[in-house]
Order: sequence, then structure tokens, then C-alpha cells
Amino acid sequence: MLESYLIHVLILIGIYCILAVSLNFAIGYGGLLNLGHIAFFGIGAYSSTLLTIGGIPFLFALILSCIIASLCGWFLSLMTNKLKDDYLALATFGFGLVVYSLMQNLTRLTKGPLGISGIPKAEILGLTINNSCYLILTIAMLIIAYLVMTGLVNSKFGRLMGGIRDNELLMKTLSRNTQRIKGKILSLSAFFAGMAGSLYAHYIGFIDPSTFGIKEIMLLLTIVLLGGLASLKGTIITTFLLVSIPEILRFVPIPDNILGPAQTAIYALVLLLILRYRPRGILGKIDLN
Amino acid sequence: MSFAFFFQLLINGIIAGSIYSLISSGFSLIYTTNRFINFSHGSVVVLAAFAAYFFFNILRLPFIIAGLFAIAFIIFFGLMNFRLVYNPLRKRGASNASLLVASIGCLILIESLLIMLFGAGVKSYFLFDTSQGINLLGAVITKIEIIIVLSSILVLILLYLFLHKCRTGKKMQAVSDEPALAETVGISSRKIRSLAIIIASVIAGLAGILIGLEYSFEPMMGTNLMIKGFTGAIVGGASSILGSVLGAFIVGILENIGIGFLPSGFKDAITFTLLFTFLLIKPRGLFGKWRDSNA
Repeated sequence: MLESYLIHVLILIGIYCILAVSLNFAIGYGGLLNLGHIAFFGIGAYSSTLLTIGGIPFLFALILSCIIASLCGWFLSLMTNKLKDDYLALATFGFGLVVYSLMQNLTRLTKGPLGISGIPKAEILGLTINNSCYLILTIAMLIIAYLVMTGLVNSKFGRLMGGIRDNELLMKTLSRNTQRIKGKILSLSAFFAGMAGSLYAHYIGFIDPSTFGIKEIMLLLTIVLLGGLASLKGTIITTFLLVSIPEILRFVPIPDNILGPAQTAIYALVLLLILRYRPRGILGKIDLN
Repeated sequence: MSFAFFFQLLINGIIAGSIYSLISSGFSLIYTTNRFINFSHGSVVVLAAFAAYFFFNILRLPFIIAGLFAIAFIIFFGLMNFRLVYNPLRKRGASNASLLVASIGCLILIESLLIMLFGAGVKSYFLFDTSQGINLLGAVITKIEIIIVLSSILVLILLYLFLHKCRTGKKMQAVSDEPALAETVGISSRKIRSLAIIIASVIAGLAGILIGLEYSFEPMMGTNLMIKGFTGAIVGGASSILGSVLGAFIVGILENIGIGFLPSGFKDAITFTLLFTFLLIKPRGLFGKWRDSNA
């Protein structure tokens, strides 16, 4: 009993790790304050759900939904390539809202606020995967995501990213195509967010728009900023903390209607306190631009 | 679409626009003087509605006094919010983006606290009967809705007169146009900024109470109201207060006429699309004055 509960929490942590790490990749290394990141998570979850319901095998749906999310990331980058700082944050936030309201309103596809239940469980070669195997799959995906991102960050591309983050004008005068690099950053970040979305949908078996709303954007920002920008390790540590603490609090006898908002209030308070007293977070290398 | 139906949608749009304009004008006032995007302004509106609910329905004070107390509370809250959160961040040299993130934090914090205190359910003052409407050229409008439209127009005229005819208002314009220059001619920009917060809070408080009189309200409403008011400001031009008022009416009318053609659930989608499109194509808005360096 306890063991299966532990596996459940670890799967959730793994999924949120992929999501949060991919956001830190965009903000911390690429300098792109993307407040619409949760939309890619949602796009991944919905596309994977609809594809598997349409009869496509789980693994293909997983890969396809990553690609779809990544294309959306490329599109967002194309649309917002002239904006910087707070206007970029606003436009990406607006993008998140548009995607959210499409989930609410394209009822024929998404069933709107009712959500889609009975999402096919993950299957590989006709075998349904049980939870412990799903945990292994999630961790494997997290490791792939982590290795790809750290690999890129430490490569020549990583230095270009840092250059754009710290001084875009300089990179332009060195005749670097900064738009293209930003496009690559955002589509890669969206790729892994889509992966997390697909893993989430097939694990929980039910999705509705409320998982992809403004509160979740704030939770992700709190995780990333508390862990520290440009530190993927920090993000993983804080995801562990912030996802597991509410699970532990479940055993404390507080009524549910207080517990939910209290958790959200604490996340918001943590966010405000980091911004105020420790803008670098726990292991961060840079401040929020 | 029949004329009466169209006219009804137009009237609904004007009512929505009046409410949004009360939010967007305060938003612009803060944006022009304090130079950052304050998302928590939407939850201030809801906070005011709940403060009035507390004084009127729980403490059973007369409604006028409850309303005044609620507005006094909102002014205090607005000033404290800046003092505790935004000003220290500014002093530290935080970017506009950090302030924006902080204001999202404040928005969600206020919402969650309201849910903890009052529950997530809808509330109403139960003061007037709003089921009876007046027939106006085939469209139905309630008395409170007429009061909402008239009082918002009155508030906006007063705001306009204050900014253009009054000495202090002119100082405020000077601070928003040329903060450094205003400081050299002896205008205390710190005082002017606080004054802008006070005025914006009063208007937001009024909006909250007016919403509470006609409709029911709930803690989660702040986000939606903020996005509507904010979209109005972006469409009209956040740097121009008159522009953001007009923008708010454009948003209110477009989303209401839009649902004449689309399912009613698309109301929010229309606004969000408008917001996203304007941010990409014309971030300065229709009537924006100065060009933001980031836009």
C-alpha cells in the first residue's frame, strides 16, 4: 500500500521534473521568460490523449505529441521574436491563455471543462505497463531530457544561448542569427514539456483544462525560481520538495477545502519571498534578468 | 441576427465595458507612474467586493458605511502591497519582468486567502432585486446596470478632469511622461506614485462594489477581471489612460457581439486572442503615447 503510494508520488515528481527542467532551460539559459510554458504541457497531454484514442500506439503518440508541442514552441517563438522582457512574458502568458480557452471551448475535441476520462493506459508492444514500470519509463525520460539539456548547455550552442541571454545586441553584431537560436531553445523546451504532458495524461488517465491554468504557471515559476535559474539540479531538488510536501500534508488532518488554497497560498508566498530576498534561488547562477 | 438581439448584445457590451474600464484605467494609472504591469490589480477588485460583503452582510453595517470602509481598506491594502512587495523589489533593481512575476504571485495569494476565509462559493449582497429589467428599444437592462454605466462614466470624467485640469493631476502626467525631469523641477515622484496607487485602488474598489451589487462574486473572479481590464489597456494603449478606457469598451463590446456568432463559451477566447494579437502586432495599443523599449 505504502509502496504503491510512494511509486505514485515519484511518478508525479518525475513528470514535473521534466516539465520544470524544460522551463528552466528556456528562462535560465535562454533568457526567455516564458509564462505560457504550461500550454505546451497541455498540448502534449491533449495530443497524446487524442492520438491514442484514435488508435495510435502509446510510444508513437508520445513521440508525436513531443513533436506537436515542439512545433507550437517554434510557432510561439516566430510570433514573439521581436519582444523582450516583460512584453515577452505577457505575450507568452497570452499564448497560454489562448491555449487554455481553446481546451475549454473546442468541446468536440477536448470535451471542454468536463475533461477527457478513460485515457488509454500506456502500452508497449501490446503489454500494459504497470506503475513500477511506468516509474522506470518516467525516470528514463527524465534522464534523457536532463542529459540532452545539460549536453546542449555545455556545448557551443550553450555559449550562444548564454550570449543571447546576456547581450543579444552583441550577438547580433557578431552576425549570429539570434531569432533562429531562440526558436531552437523554445521548441526544444516545448518538446520536453510535451513529453511531460503525454506521460501525465497516460498516467492519470484523465485530463481537463484546470491542470493547465494560471495557478500551475505560478507553481512552475516557484519551482524554477526557488531552485535557481540556470541550475537544472536546483530545479530537480525543488520539484522534489514542492511536489512531495503537499502529498505528505495529506496525512495531516486539515479539511480539503482549506488545504488546497493553503497550499497555493504557500507557493505564492514562497515565490514572493524568493524574489524579495534571494532572487538566485538555492543553486541559481543568475538573477531573473 | 435581429436588431433587438444585436442591440441587447451591444448594451451588454457597454455594461461589461464600463466595468472593464474601471479596472483598465487604474491599471494604466499604475503603469504610467510606476512603470510596471501590476497583475494583482484584478484581485484588488474582488478583495473590495469581499470587504464590502464582510462589513455589510457579516457585520451588518449600513451599506454606504460598509462601502466606505471597504474602499478605505482597499487603499490601505494597495499602499501596503507596494510597500511590502513592489517597492523593495524596485529598490533592489529588479527588472519589470520580476515585478510582473511578483504581481502574479500577489494575485494568486489574494485569491487563495479569500477562498480560505470565505470559501470558494459565490456570494451576493442581497441588497436589490436584480431580476426586474427595464425595456429599452427591445433590449432589457436593469436599474443597477444603468447605475454601473453612469457611475463608471462619471468616475472616468472625474479622472480625466483631475489629470488635465488639476495641478496635482498635471504633476502626475509629468511624472509619467518624464520622471527624471519632473524630479528636477521639484515634483516628488514618490508621493505622486503613491497617489496614483490610491486613486487606482479607489476606482478598483468602486468597480468591485458595483459588480457585487448586480452580479454575484467569487474569489476566483480576479484573474478573469484582470485579464479583461488588462486587455482593454493593451488594446487602447497602456500608456494612455483615455486609450485604455476606450480599449476596455472595445473589449466589452467585441466579446459580447462575438458571442452572437460563436458559442457563448468563446467569450473569454475572443478577449485572449485580442490580447495576444495586439501584443504581437501593436504592443503600444491604438492610442499609446510612448513607445516602450521592450515592445
